[in-house]
Amino acid sequence: MNDLMTRNNVKVMGQGEQTIIFAHGFGCDQSMWQYIAPKFAENYRVVLFDYIGSGNSDFTAYQSEKYSTLQGYKQDVLDIIEEMDLQNILFIGHSISSMIGMLAAIDRPDYFDKLIMIGPSPCYLNDTDGYRGGFEQNDIKELLTMMEMNFAGWASYMAPLAMDQTKDPKLTYDLENSFVSTNPRVAREFAEVTFYSDYRESLPLLKVPTLIIQCSNDSIVPIEVGQYLNKCIENSTLQIIEAKGHYPHISQPVETTNIIVDYLMK
Amino acid sequence: MEVRLKEAPCGFISFDHSGYINEVNNTFLEWMGYKQENLVGKHIESFLTMTNKLIFHSYFYPNINLHGYVEELFINFTNHTGESIPYLMNAKRFRQDGNEVIDCSLVQMKKRIDYELELRSTKKQMEEAYLEKNRALAKLEQIYLEIEKKQIELMEINSGLVKISNTDKLTGISNRRFFQKKLEEQIVIYRTVEKTFSLLIIDIDHFKKVNDTYGHQIGDIVLAKLANILKIQVRTDDIVARFGGEEFTIILPDTDFEEAILIAQKLNRTIELAEWTETGNLTVSIGLATFSENDTEDSIVKKADQALYVSKEKGRNRATHFRNL
Repeated sequence: MNDLMTRNNVKVMGQGEQTIIFAHGFGCDQSMWQYIAPKFAENYRVVLFDYIGSGNSDFTAYQSEKYSTLQGYKQDVLDIIEEMDLQNILFIGHSISSMIGMLAAIDRPDYFDKLIMIGPSPCYLNDTDGYRGGFEQNDIKELLTMMEMNFAGWASYMAPLAMDQTKDPKLTYDLENSFVSTNPRVAREFAEVTFYSDYRESLPLLKVPTLIIQCSNDSIVPIEVGQYLNKCIENSTLQIIEAKGHYPHISQPVETTNIIVDYLMK
Repeated sequence: MEVRLKEAPCGFISFDHSGYINEVNNTFLEWMGYKQENLVGKHIESFLTMTNKLIFHSYFYPNINLHGYVEELFINFTNHTGESIPYLMNAKRFRQDGNEVIDCSLVQMKKRIDYELELRSTKKQMEEAYLEKNRALAKLEQIYLEIEKKQIELMEINSGLVKISNTDKLTGISNRRFFQKKLEEQIVIYRTVEKTFSLLIIDIDHFKKVNDTYGHQIGDIVLAKLANILKIQVRTDDIVARFGGEEFTIILPDTDFEEAILIAQKLNRTIELAEWTETGNLTVSIGLATFSENDTEDSIVKKADQALYVSKEKGRNRATHFRNL
């Protein structure tokens, strides 16, 4: 089934024995890993991919129903693993992909060695039970509206960009335009799935050893969420990076890499 | 900063890789009611609501880092009174002496945003209306399909009913009602295209004895068996029916007097020679009539009946045509 490799735009690099899967977060694609993935490719086999509806994936494979929960995205991950017959996987997921990886590892713990979650959150909304996800309902509504009003921008952002594609701005431009029409609905639905998700109840089911990396001053996920995850996930380690933002692998690639390498060496 | 950039007809902000503001021009400060010291050194996030922070981080930040530019981003900045002011922002990454700065130019879009919101709500309404129309259409199609299905069902039920109403329950061949209809049809054909037809009335000989000796159940079996023989023996267009009791009729379309007699005689023989395990043997008497100019629906039946009577009189197991009386 070569289709699947094309469907999810799967890219493999590096020669190591063990496999690392890098899974991008909301509104991004695999190019977000360009600052850290090459380093890991020196010692590992690195698998990169785009979720359906993101990057250079096959947009025609997008089904609103399937991707109306993270389970649809989780299935994509399991499909790739099974197609490539991967074992002892190290899964690095950013943001919402941490939860997608978690769901996959709950389903098939035998596939995974370790999970690394970068800026994870099991639930973005504040809850009446005292849980603080960081967002109120209104924030999310406003976000969806703003996204709609930034349609063209979102589309261009989701445009497929291989790591060296910036060399060919014309190509990028063409691709940007080609996705303007299809992308907004997908982006909106992904945003809804992401920001309305609540997987707090699944956390105790995760048994695979997990590293939680959080920025000390994360702009999107409050610091308590990292602690909450650390408490609820049985076999987890919490590492705080002195950083602002939500993308330590872009803003502090060296530090992020070191934290991950240290954890993998343990 | 050059005076002309300070006073440019657009806002200008420059911040470092981490998002801390280095420079801001007067135009932006005036628009927002801030002073230099309110902004410089502060993180850009300080002027973004939660939602705008999210847009900034999930869209702007990775985009500027991966592509080096962002164009036409719609984003709100919070002014000194805490009000969200909408802007259209372009940004470009600029590297100088190993340092990276992000320069942003901003244009207010207060009026534009009103138009946009209006457009957006109109678009939403249109989408709703469109969806509603599609839903209504789908519903109509569904209803139409259901009606069509019901209609087919009704037609099936109807044709079933017609068949039942035209069939003799015991023998499974047509009943008297169907016979009458077909007889009328034959008369119409006679009147329009002048094709004559003949009628046979068949009566089982000594049927009362069969019932009395073997019981009604055997009587019924004999009736059904005879019906079956008649059905097999006739030609495709001939119409066999149970007239009532032990009486059967056969309409022979397009058949004259002579041919009818031959057919009737052949029937006599076939029935006589058939294996009647229930009764040992069985014969029938037949009366014939062929339709002619002055005949009616009633008269032809009467004539055949008279001929049948004569067959019985003459000793049964034979066929008599009315013309030979």
